[in-house]
Amino acid sequence: MMHQTIKRDGVETIGDPYLCLEGMNKKYGLVEVISNLNLAVRKGELIALLGPSGCGKTTTLRMIAGLIAPTAGRITVGGRDVTQIAPHGRDMGLVFQSYALFPHMTVAKNVAFGLEMRGLSRADIANKVAKALGMVQLEHLAERKPRELSGGQQQRVALARALVIEPSILLLDEPLSNLDAKLRDEMRTQIRDIQQQLGITTVFVTHDQVEALSMCDRIVVMKGGLIEQVGTPHEIYERPATPFVASFVGRTNRVKGKRTADGCIRIGSSMIRSARPAVQDDVMVMVRPHRIHIDWNAASTEQQGETANRMAAVLSRITFVGDVIQYHFDVGGSEFIVEESTKKSQVSRDQGDKAVLSWSVEDTLVFGADQ
Amino acid sequence: MEENPTSWFMRVTVTILFLFLLAPVLLVFPISFSGDQILAFPPSSWSLQWYEALLGNTVMMSAFLTSLGLATVVTVLSLIIAIPASYAIVRLKVTGSEFLFNLFTAPLLLPTIVLGLAILIIFASMGLLATFTGLVIGHLVITLPYALRVLSVSLGNLNLACEEAAASLGAKPLAVFGKVTLPMMAPGIVAATALCFLVSFDEVVITLFLTGPRMTTLPVELFHHVESQADPLVASVSVLLILMTLAVVMIVDRTMGLTKAFMK
Amino acid sequence: MTTATFDMPVGAQKSFGTAGVAVALLLPIALVNAIGFILPVLNLARMSFNEALPGGGIAEALTAANWTGLLHDSFYIELITNSIVVSLGITLATLLVSYPIALYLHRASGAWRTFLTVLVISPLLTSAVVRTYGWIALLAEQGPVANVIASMGFQPPRMMFNTTGVVIGLTEILMPYMILSLMAGFGRLDPKVEEAARTLGATPFRTFWRVILPLTLPGIALGCLLCFVLAISSFITPKLMGGGRVFLLATEIYDQAIVTLNWPLAATLSMLVLIIFGAALAVYSRILRMIEG
Repeated sequence: MMHQTIKRDGVETIGDPYLCLEGMNKKYGLVEVISNLNLAVRKGELIALLGPSGCGKTTTLRMIAGLIAPTAGRITVGGRDVTQIAPHGRDMGLVFQSYALFPHMTVAKNVAFGLEMRGLSRADIANKVAKALGMVQLEHLAERKPRELSGGQQQRVALARALVIEPSILLLDEPLSNLDAKLRDEMRTQIRDIQQQLGITTVFVTHDQVEALSMCDRIVVMKGGLIEQVGTPHEIYERPATPFVASFVGRTNRVKGKRTADGCIRIGSSMIRSARPAVQDDVMVMVRPHRIHIDWNAASTEQQGETANRMAAVLSRITFVGDVIQYHFDVGGSEFIVEESTKKSQVSRDQGDKAVLSWSVEDTLVFGADQ
Repeated sequence: MEENPTSWFMRVTVTILFLFLLAPVLLVFPISFSGDQILAFPPSSWSLQWYEALLGNTVMMSAFLTSLGLATVVTVLSLIIAIPASYAIVRLKVTGSEFLFNLFTAPLLLPTIVLGLAILIIFASMGLLATFTGLVIGHLVITLPYALRVLSVSLGNLNLACEEAAASLGAKPLAVFGKVTLPMMAPGIVAATALCFLVSFDEVVITLFLTGPRMTTLPVELFHHVESQADPLVASVSVLLILMTLAVVMIVDRTMGLTKAFMK
Repeated sequence: MTTATFDMPVGAQKSFGTAGVAVALLLPIALVNAIGFILPVLNLARMSFNEALPGGGIAEALTAANWTGLLHDSFYIELITNSIVVSLGITLATLLVSYPIALYLHRASGAWRTFLTVLVISPLLTSAVVRTYGWIALLAEQGPVANVIASMGFQPPRMMFNTTGVVIGLTEILMPYMILSLMAGFGRLDPKVEEAARTLGATPFRTFWRVILPLTLPGIALGCLLCFVLAISSFITPKLMGGGRVFLLATEIYDQAIVTLNWPLAATLSMLVLIIFGAALAVYSRILRMIEG
């Protein structure tokens, strides 16, 4: 609600680049933690920086906030260069992993802090604080101290405190990682709802692929200070640009293969095909476990179809994971995991059972082995 | 272990040793209520005469007021000087900050008898002997290391993210310090205040070198008194000193817990 | 001397100049440190090479006369030896009376442990003058300790104005330091190790001698170093309980500085104390290496 005016008064609409990082570089001594990072975030977009710890995602966020000075590069917000502006002049709302609530102030005082720094009148401050606390459903706790709140409540205070100043950009640094699993699911929805309601451009740092896939408009997958891929959750999942992305986002089977003269790929004694042609002789083939179909009764793998790959396999282990069952198959010496939802798997299977695995050519991801 | 004879033996030993450790301090209380004219234990009669004598002793009372004023001034100055210094060392992390920290806390490594003599010789040439200013500087030399140490630990333990959050919410550096850093350091500041006050109020050796007949402190006056005549007046002054210490310790304990403040 | 480290926020370097601010913030403490510590100590070191003139004056010329004089004067040789021997004796006595308390505290837990720890620390917060006065009351000729000894049918020894009194008083005064050092060193003494030794059939004495003591050696070394340097430089207790009849380094420094007004000699003796400090530290690190190695 607070952001509707901002959203509508300019010529910008959702889709235009709003926050731009150009040639960002950060070195500590000789160690380069961010190398030539370029990224354009659209207005009103929720974008995730996803990667394992040490990939540079938090460093990138802190550079956007101005808490770390980049070694090189330029940051612009709505065309305005903010690279040399100190954190207090950047007008960005930041939510920390540890929440960083001021322990000596009440919830209301915490939320009011940014408004006081902007010199608003008492009446305005009271009004806006009440609205912000209402938005995160914490009006009744306004006079409590942070230590008297639960983790989830503290998290919402931190969110209200960052949003009440109506920042140009909202920055979230692993905001859900200190919450338990159930609360995390709730907060995901709540953050996404508030973000869409306000239409606020948001950068979200996380190492949790589920958070990134479920909440965000686009995902930036990072590794070792470099961007591996930028895309919508669907693109990242279905068309990973690198083996790292394929294995970091979602689970995947990986097996080595050789390119043959006719463009097929040979794995052991089987031949399979992929949608995209292999670029090298030595390749890494990846298939998502739940995209594989198990045919327990197939006699042979002879009828190789146009759209499906088929391979003979021997069951080696079964793992029950609640809503799914994982079958571990031995496929010519490599392990293939196949997942099926539990209700389907009524027939009990034994170690050593033979089956034919099949999956569509579309779902066959091929990368160079050295990639 | 309860029925173990060694454990029983251990308990008796420890009790006796604790008695040895605490005896001299505990003894001072009954002696201060002595009705005798000379030091004897146990006293042959009880009275408040030595407290009356203390109130009537102008030298002791003026020394007490000097000590009180001196400790207050030294404590306030220690905080004013050490808070910015700890910020520069811990937060701004200037190059060589570790060296500077060691240099500024080094006076504590020196025996006070040596430090006192060294300061005496320099202050004599500056005309600072037996002056309030001289005493203040002399005490600052040993209170500042304590203050710097306690405040640096306190500052180092703060969540830096709170200060970053304040900055991102639009607070300029000075506002961040005043509204977030300083209030969050409160327990450390209380501990530093108590420690500086106690160290200054109880200091004898360095002060012995810097005082004179015109300007003397209570512990120094007490020292001179014991040197000449160890009568029960000393006990009543001692009780006064102990009660002062106790009051300060209780304030700290209320604020942050004794062990936390002194068991670093 | 000051440059910003890498992780400074944007603007910190430019808008208010970290180096400039840091210098301003550190200036007051540096001034006190310079006037009250560095300058006096350097001056003291230099003065140990000046010669005292009759009547309290000091000659400008540098000479090693104080040092050579010191080492050829039998009074000072004896003073130095005596100080070291007495301090070593005090250290040993302090260790013996502190070790059981430290071990007991290490095994205690909860509120009881906190209470006892406060009891150990509280004498530290009490002026040495007050505690020494307490000992004067206890050890006086007709004092309680003498009375107890007499009631047992013995002739009470003189315990005041001699080395015995100084040793007893300083032992008690240094106990808290020793106990805290020992407890710090006891950190690695796991009660399970002790239990293991007992279950393997070791007697309590053997358990102590073969298991507990070796494990607590680093704490013992630290406590002994601390107590030795504190003992050799302590002044209040020897001065008050020695009654002018016990001559130790610290009391001699005070007398030379205040009574005789021979500052160069006092400075030389002070430097000697610092040299003994250095030697003690060297011995300590040597011993620590032996224990750890």
